[in-house]
Amino acid sequence: MNTTVKQSFADRKPTRGRLSEPVHSDCAGTQTPPEIALAPSKFADIYNEHSRAIYYLALRFLGDPQKAEDATHDVFLKAFRKMDSFRGESSWRTWLYRITINHCRNLQQSWNDRHMFSNADDAVWDNAPARTDSPLRVLETKELGQRIQKALDGLSDEYRLLLLLVADEQLSYEQVGVLTDQTPDAVRGKLHRARKAFAALFEKTA
Amino acid sequence: MKRQSKLTSRQSEQQQQHSNQQAEQHAALEFPTVEEMLRHDARHTPVPPSIAHRLQESIGPVQPRPWWRRLFGS
Repeated sequence: MNTTVKQSFADRKPTRGRLSEPVHSDCAGTQTPPEIALAPSKFADIYNEHSRAIYYLALRFLGDPQKAEDATHDVFLKAFRKMDSFRGESSWRTWLYRITINHCRNLQQSWNDRHMFSNADDAVWDNAPARTDSPLRVLETKELGQRIQKALDGLSDEYRLLLLLVADEQLSYEQVGVLTDQTPDAVRGKLHRARKAFAALFEKTA
Repeated sequence: MKRQSKLTSRQSEQQQQHSNQQAEQHAALEFPTVEEMLRHDARHTPVPPSIAHRLQESIGPVQPRPWWRRLFGS
């Protein structure tokens, strides 16, 4: 699959990208120098490296495989068209996450406007007896995804997003803070409550 | 007698296989943190191949290189 994607995208040209100069990878979190030219095959590399993380975030944030598929497609299409505006001030992963978060929030917003939906009050779960220092056990591995989704669906968008971003080992608390417009300390504080809320909800899904 | 013992060993093999399958199905997973659980879930969540196909279609057909680029090799 990777080969197919790479070959197919390699023939395509970003809107205004230059083609001949070498490309520096910053997928591991290092910074790309500004004004760098983007070869078209670079897009295939980006897709192959980050599509899983982007799809997973969209899937668990939106809670719907079809919506997640559409969102992932739209995010990468947007990224392809805006590749030349990427200045290397963040990592590719962070840049793609930013696009994904905005896209998913817009989708959620339009859906919520139509359905007047609100998430469960997190204060309820903050006071729940669940312990975050005890391990989470699952008996049926095939049900894990469903249970995770149910538990995440019960959280506010903010807590859900925090947990999903922090679970990505490529992101630091600082980067999560930038993506969610808050300080790293605020991330740490909210993360503690988000874990607790998740654990309480997860227990209920058994 | 010999045939019977062969049958018995085959039966026990089958039972063993069956119990192994059941054990796999009911394999208990334990995660020390929520993040570990999410990472495990992410690793086992495949990206639908249709996304790459749709992207290829959306990005559009391959554009031929203009004649002056072919001529001057740029």
